[in-house]
Amino acid sequence: MSQANTMSRQDRRALRKAEKLRDKAANELPPSLRPNKFVKALTILVLVIALIYFTFPIYWAIIASTKSPSQLTNSNGIWFAVGLDELPDAIAKNYAGLLGWTKGKFWRWVLNSLIYSGVSAVIGTVVAVMAGYATAKFRFRGKGVIIGVIMASMLMPAALLTIPQYSIFNAIGLDNTMLSVIIPCCVSPFGFFLGRVYAQSSVPDELLEAARIDGAGEARIFFTIVLRILAPAMVTIFLFMFVATWNNFLLPLMMLSSTDLQPVTLGLYGMVSLATFTDRGALMMGALLGVLPVIILFLFLQRYWKAGLAAGAVKG
Amino acid sequence: MTTPTRAAMKGRGVAKRSEAVKREERTGWTFMVPFCLLFLIVFVVPIIWAIYQSFFQQVATGGGAYGGGTLENKFVGLANFQYVITSKAFWSGIGRVFIYTVIQVPLMIILALALAMLMDSFIVKHVSGFRLLYFLPYAIPGVVASIIWVFLYNQQISPIVKFCELFGLHPDFFANNVVIGSMANITTWTFTGYNMLIFLAALQAIPHDLYEAARIDGANGWQIAMKIKLPNVRGAALLAMLLSIVGTIQLFNEPQVMQTADPGISDSFTPMMMALNTSRGSLTPKGDGPASAIAIVMALIAGVLAATYALVERKVNES
Amino acid sequence: MVSYTKRLFAGVAAIAALGMGLVGCGSSSGDSSASSNADASKDSGEVVKITYMHRLPDNEGMTTVDSIVDQWNKDHPNIQVTATKFNGNASDMIKKLETDVKSGNAPDLAQVGYAELPEVYTKGMLEDVTQYAEQYKDHFAEGPYNLMQVGGKYYGLPQDTGPLVYFYNKKAFDELGLAVPGTQEELIAAAKKAAAAGKYIMSFQADEAGNMLTGLAGASSNWYTVKDDAWVVDTDTDGSKAVAKVYQELLDSKAVATNPRWDPSFDASLQKEELVGTIGAAWEAPLLMQSIGDSGKGNWAVAQVGDWFDNDGKTGPDGGSGVAVLKGCEHGKEAMEFLDWFNTQTDALISQGLVVATSDTDVKTPDSWKEYYGGQDIMAEFVKANDNMGDFTYIPGFSAVATAMTEAASKAASGKGTVADIFAAAQTTSIDTLKDYGLSIAQ
Repeated sequence: MSQANTMSRQDRRALRKAEKLRDKAANELPPSLRPNKFVKALTILVLVIALIYFTFPIYWAIIASTKSPSQLTNSNGIWFAVGLDELPDAIAKNYAGLLGWTKGKFWRWVLNSLIYSGVSAVIGTVVAVMAGYATAKFRFRGKGVIIGVIMASMLMPAALLTIPQYSIFNAIGLDNTMLSVIIPCCVSPFGFFLGRVYAQSSVPDELLEAARIDGAGEARIFFTIVLRILAPAMVTIFLFMFVATWNNFLLPLMMLSSTDLQPVTLGLYGMVSLATFTDRGALMMGALLGVLPVIILFLFLQRYWKAGLAAGAVKG
Repeated sequence: MTTPTRAAMKGRGVAKRSEAVKREERTGWTFMVPFCLLFLIVFVVPIIWAIYQSFFQQVATGGGAYGGGTLENKFVGLANFQYVITSKAFWSGIGRVFIYTVIQVPLMIILALALAMLMDSFIVKHVSGFRLLYFLPYAIPGVVASIIWVFLYNQQISPIVKFCELFGLHPDFFANNVVIGSMANITTWTFTGYNMLIFLAALQAIPHDLYEAARIDGANGWQIAMKIKLPNVRGAALLAMLLSIVGTIQLFNEPQVMQTADPGISDSFTPMMMALNTSRGSLTPKGDGPASAIAIVMALIAGVLAATYALVERKVNES
Repeated sequence: MVSYTKRLFAGVAAIAALGMGLVGCGSSSGDSSASSNADASKDSGEVVKITYMHRLPDNEGMTTVDSIVDQWNKDHPNIQVTATKFNGNASDMIKKLETDVKSGNAPDLAQVGYAELPEVYTKGMLEDVTQYAEQYKDHFAEGPYNLMQVGGKYYGLPQDTGPLVYFYNKKAFDELGLAVPGTQEELIAAAKKAAAAGKYIMSFQADEAGNMLTGLAGASSNWYTVKDDAWVVDTDTDGSKAVAKVYQELLDSKAVATNPRWDPSFDASLQKEELVGTIGAAWEAPLLMQSIGDSGKGNWAVAQVGDWFDNDGKTGPDGGSGVAVLKGCEHGKEAMEFLDWFNTQTDALISQGLVVATSDTDVKTPDSWKEYYGGQDIMAEFVKANDNMGDFTYIPGFSAVATAMTEAASKAASGKGTVADIFAAAQTTSIDTLKDYGLSIAQ
């Protein structure tokens, strides 16, 4: 039992060491692979052009978030409309506009979004990995059918299931609760698919058998060994589900009527869908502030994610 | 603790083995149950509900000018499917999505792959900053991304248009045949970074001794990229393609937001828009029945597409 | 299963009432005197809960709905109202309410546009409150009051109206040597003259076609009339012909701006003073202020829509909503009592940018508006337009008609169709929609 634990710890240490070595190797190239100057300059140029393409709209949005509606259409799009000394006032004004629209609940909504995305992604990831592991490593009747049904459901436009989902949650008395958003977001056929692929590719049968021979129960094997091996892969599923829930507005729009329960995207969607709401500077500010937690999370999990993606992509 | 060998286990009787099979079955199902239960509530029942609904239409009771103040669901057989299949708007929508699938998806995948290859080429060091910034658009919700681009496409406001005017160009991003390209650009902008990350991860997982060996054989950087790297990311590319196609079929946010700038984008511009707008009653008051029928036909088409794609993939692989 | 929480709450409330020795049912009507409503409910000792869903802007600087409601709750401990703001557009809200009603979960009161009311009725989402509405009749202008009615029964009270008026940049007009045109010929001549100077005094808004053009075209005579409980659909009225003729001529001679109303480019052309005049609904006044910005301050003014569309000088409606009592509301009387109070909170509602639908014509123009519109008492202008507004009856399913009109209008704007096509599309879509609903159409 304890043997399996130390084994995996050693494994991990070795893995980490190998990774470090590889990173080092990547940075210290053998002379023959060193590019000539022209190729290098060209590559940098391409990468920088791509960088401008991907970041310019965000830069524009940051500038826009400091502008009033008339400044937005009237002033130079690539710089602030007011002097730098007046900037704090301009920002404060749009921030006040944002809080006004959200009735002072903007940060509460951000917190709600964090709860919805965090909880559903954690549960969803574990559940998906469990199911993926089951289909990858066990034989049982009906497996083929289940895999087929789940994979086919990826083709169904999920947004259109929102209304029947609402009816069901209403019938069981769960509408307008946090669960009504969390539960539907816990299920990701794509998460299942990734979980299955990861389990197939990175959980060795020998390891499972060894653990069984040691007398470990299946639950114990899963939670102590399999989950550990799949940890980086799970980060991928987690992030994918987190972002998907974060950006979903149709489901909370239907399920929730209490403003205290709304996620932040619902407020943004309201601003977007309401033609008469023209204070787009405040909208941009809301969008940027609302995206911050996702970016922070990404930065935080980036290291794990990289490894996780690799595990899935190899076999994909 | 006695540790029976594999051979010893194999040697045991048939009865024991079937016991093991049973246990495996039980364990497998136990692990499946949580996902299956949730899947049942969130997908299976709603899908059955949608299929059931697709045979009904909403009709006012009582007739007259305003009806009797209630609606009833009238069983209409396959009339909703007939409505979808004979609808010109639906097939134009499918056509647009098809163009999107054939042009935007491959372009995006190629762009993502090219960027990933460049970053993995060792030509430039310290790529993590680039990687993060390329990925950033993925974190922006689709509706917000579309709004930003609507501004950047605007004739009178856009700094891009102003920049082009310096060179005597006057791009009209909402012109008749351009608008779908403008839309595709938004999708590309949002998802390229995400796909690039997947490719980059796949590339970084390739064992480096492969490069070493190739180099000894006298291969240059380009040859290594084509002969070693490309084949090794095929799996990732297949996955990314499939996901992008599924996503494209559900194209909704971009056209819906761009509609404010260009009313020429109709409520049935894409099948997904048509479905949601039907359900909202802004195309026909028939209710969720026709909307469900659209969703089902869409899913069937998507299924056929995905199956064809997988089949072609396999054929190409074999040959 | 009908809303568990609601039931539970009802149960708790019932037990509480029992405890006080007062068994009373919600709307136990028996009192004849309508004037003593408040006292009647106070006597029963039971706290009635009313929920109200709206989509008013609640922007910065406005008197928020919540603060108005708080005021009411303070004064009426026995009728406690909770307001919820719906963060989405009208069609999303109707869809949400429709599912809510089906599952017995709907709010008691909800904001519903006049154009949507017949549809909402046909969908079975309304509660007949005719018996309570009668007593508040005098508090509201007659036209809007009657818009809350379907087939002779009343379902709520009106909140605001959207009479079409003419917004124009007076300074730019003076520079062009133009006055607000009075007749059709003058309009076309003025538009052409302005266009020659690179300015537009009219806008053709494809995205608003379903609302604005119906208002303008329907002011002369109604598109939709009921005869023997069946619809007579005629979208080719004199008004429609005139609208088609005028806009077609303006489009052909490029003397009209074609930016969609809700696209940022519309705002930009206002700021650049390219677009110096446009027909718009009264509720657009604060929105235009925001769009044009400080540069236009003091230059803009409001006038009545001239006799441009063969409407005998009448103007038409664009938007405007009431608040309806939704099916399943158990306290119709109390809900209507609140509603009457709420919809007559003139100053607060004006701050939300509404032209209130009350019979009280002594409404003040907010100072900031007055300042912006060159000192003009624009509210008086809106009231005048309101009084001069033709009725427009909407059919159930009008939103589908509006969608079809928008599509045709965008073709007309880009020269691929004609303005007359818009009304032809309205005709066929109206008939199709009524047929889809299973309603009667007169042959």
